[in-house]
Amino acid sequence: MDPTRSRLTWSLIVIVGVLTLCPVVMLVLGSFSEGLTAFGKFTLAKYVEVYTDPAIADVIVNTVVFVLGSSLLATGLALFLAYLNNRTDIPFKGLFKVISIIPMMIPHVLFSVSWALLLNPSNGTLNLALKQVFGLDAAPFNIYTLWGMILVEGLLDLPIAYLIIAPAMASFDVALEESSRVSGAKTWRTLVRITLPVLRPAILASFILCVVRGLASFAVPSVIGMPGRVYVLATHLYDLIAKGFAPDYGKAAAVGMSVLATSVTLIYVYRALTAESERYVTISSRGFRPAVIELKGARIPMFLVVGFLSVILIVLPVAVLFYTSLVPYSMVPSARAFSLMSWRHWIDVLDDPISVLSLKNSVFLGVVGATLGVVLSVFVAYVIVKVRTRAAGILESLSYLSFSFPGIVVGVGFMWFFVQTPLYATIWALLIGYIAIYMPYGIRPLSSAFVQVHAHLEESSLVCGAGHLTTMRRIIVPLLVPGLVSAWILMATMFVRELTLSVVLSRPGTEVLAVQILRFAEDGLWGKLSALGIIMIAISTTLVVLATVVGARFRVVEAA
Amino acid sequence: MEIRIEGVSKHYYSEGKVIKALDDVTLTIPANEIFTLLGPSGCGKTTLLRCIVGLETPDRGEIAIGGEVVWSKDKNIAVPPEERGLGMVFQTYAIWPHMTVFDNVAYPLQVRKMRRSVIREKVGRTLQFVRLEGFENRPATKLSGGQQQRVALARALVAEPKVILFDEPLSNLDAKLREETRKELKAFLGKLKITAVYVTHDRVEALALSDTIAIMRAGAIVEVGPPTKIYFNADHEFVADFIGRANLVKARVVAQDDGHTVVESGLGRIACQRRDIPVGAQATLCLRPEFIRIVKGEAERGANVVSGEVESLVFVGEAYEVEIRAGTERLLAKVDPDLELKEGDPVSFSLDPAHCLLVST
Repeated sequence: MDPTRSRLTWSLIVIVGVLTLCPVVMLVLGSFSEGLTAFGKFTLAKYVEVYTDPAIADVIVNTVVFVLGSSLLATGLALFLAYLNNRTDIPFKGLFKVISIIPMMIPHVLFSVSWALLLNPSNGTLNLALKQVFGLDAAPFNIYTLWGMILVEGLLDLPIAYLIIAPAMASFDVALEESSRVSGAKTWRTLVRITLPVLRPAILASFILCVVRGLASFAVPSVIGMPGRVYVLATHLYDLIAKGFAPDYGKAAAVGMSVLATSVTLIYVYRALTAESERYVTISSRGFRPAVIELKGARIPMFLVVGFLSVILIVLPVAVLFYTSLVPYSMVPSARAFSLMSWRHWIDVLDDPISVLSLKNSVFLGVVGATLGVVLSVFVAYVIVKVRTRAAGILESLSYLSFSFPGIVVGVGFMWFFVQTPLYATIWALLIGYIAIYMPYGIRPLSSAFVQVHAHLEESSLVCGAGHLTTMRRIIVPLLVPGLVSAWILMATMFVRELTLSVVLSRPGTEVLAVQILRFAEDGLWGKLSALGIIMIAISTTLVVLATVVGARFRVVEAA
Repeated sequence: MEIRIEGVSKHYYSEGKVIKALDDVTLTIPANEIFTLLGPSGCGKTTLLRCIVGLETPDRGEIAIGGEVVWSKDKNIAVPPEERGLGMVFQTYAIWPHMTVFDNVAYPLQVRKMRRSVIREKVGRTLQFVRLEGFENRPATKLSGGQQQRVALARALVAEPKVILFDEPLSNLDAKLREETRKELKAFLGKLKITAVYVTHDRVEALALSDTIAIMRAGAIVEVGPPTKIYFNADHEFVADFIGRANLVKARVVAQDDGHTVVESGLGRIACQRRDIPVGAQATLCLRPEFIRIVKGEAERGANVVSGEVESLVFVGEAYEVEIRAGTERLLAKVDPDLELKEGDPVSFSLDPAHCLLVST
């Protein structure tokens, strides 16, 4: 084994190990100790206190219903959409790509707020409109319920579920269905006995991933759950550290431990399942164009369902935010509302020093954090894909571990750590935390890019007399540009909108956009919130466009 | 059961162009025979098979299986595949990965709501027939390619269909296994009284397996006949060229005499198998390499005797493939490896009129 590669592998193991394991170790230690600044004696007191609290039973039931409900909704919808797209003659198939990608650009906290603006019982725009139209006395819908939370979280997780199920549906050998029909089974029986069982690993994988995301979700439980006093584990934990005069990080750690343990176990199952679904791949055909199912009379109604989904996923949230940022207070769109419109909320936000600071901080974290994160990810992905020793295997397991980390829980672990260091309450604490948690999102596109760089390309450069570094610079990096761009975009957009970790680690002076928006939501300052939210979406979009342009130019230069 | 196909057409539209996958095909597939659709890729053979089984809908025409019309544009009949009662072996075998061997084979019977004991008995018998007894509880994906192929065959046979269809079932096997499986398949089908429709682009497979072969090109049937007829006595140049290696020589008919058609060609005057082609018309003379039997040295001039010179030699194992320049033509011949030849040697050969085939262009 090449000693430079071995040294690289081990130094990466140390860096990644510290980043991912340190908050977990601190969380475990913290949950068994007396207080944040002094660990004190080993004690089980925090566990006993937290889990004998009579309120915890309700919290756990809520969590289970919320998480399972939203995962069912997201997976079911994704399955429905993927089937329509791949198997039927539904028109305008381009719409499916939009549904699967664009919602990722809308931060979860804003999506949740937009639904609160539409369907809150006192002055939700849609509720007010329905009351006027049908002459009702009370608002027909109340978003501040467990069902409201399930609806919004389900819609938020829909894109990720779709991205898992759609490729499985597309690579599915249609002959499996055809042979069932020739055997005498009708369409419905074929769907139940063949199609769904063959897709089972992908369906389960999507469901589990949604469960993990639901457990880690903070935006929906805080924006929609807390006003209705529906608490789940994430918000219960937040209450312990953010409300009252004496935040108790020990109790928070004890609550977090159960969330973390569940998530890690589920991700372990998820990875086993995705390995199984690869095993399910049989000999695939040369790609005979499969016969599509004719929807006939159902074609237009089905299309309307898909169209409706894309409206409530994309158009409605942005439209309601933009509208709210312009009107002085909640009102149904009308001639009077339009006459009262002004840029007042926008001016207020840009005059507000904390909002401006949070803007600066988030842009800094997005640009610098994503750049550092991508640099680290390049090396990690290189070792995972190209070195392939046992140490590289350890690195791979370590680097994907944080994929299962719920931000708010790990944030508590980081809190125990940063308090001991001068990094506490600085922007660097956030930066390190972000990279630690979101590293898998950088490593994944880069490792698939590395897989595409065939070993022979690298080896022929070495044979030509170039060293390892020259080979990296002249051969590998140029071939990696598409992977680098998508890793950077993913990380940058996630950092700009980061909420769950920031809500724990952000202190006065290190406010970030999502946390500032949450504060506005808690204070009911919807106008300012909406203005800042639109700015946030604009920043994310600008970063995506910039990265794409830079990536394209770099490739042109290389080609010339 | 006999399959009758009448005036079936199927067009695809792709990038503004019309692709005629099937162009007014009329064909009768006789009962209880192995019938092969053979042709280059894209000739429409798989589309025709999928129309018979019902997975594809033709644009025009009528299809009847055993006297029952299963598809007709004019009579507005469209029996879905699940009600046609056929068996099919797919190119990818389409073995369901989430089921055991037993469940895969039992599926058509379960769908027909048969009693458990009957299913058990029938599946057992079918698995025994394809020599897979004892594999019942294996996950279907834990089988070799050849075994998966036999599971697919068992599944197609288990419900005792009237007709079984094969869509290039051997193309995913490696060369040696393909040959073994082909023999097995022939033996299996020989024992059953069943109509088998077989699609392939492999001419050796078609010749070895079939009772009747239909050659297709560009969505149309070119010629139908038993393997020996297709190989030795093809009527069309395309068929003669596609079914085996052939030397095609331009010729002009000069006479019709006592059972032979005589042509003038670059090889000289050659008496051929009799064909009804008017004197003076153009034709193509088809000579199979294995029937050009060369001897060393020049020979005396005579009827159907041609002299030439060795231009190149390639050793291919069981024989030498020799290129001979004779007259204005260049011919390929197969030569016994014992015959010592080298480039430039003069050679000659005489042609049996029975193996001189005139085909229409």
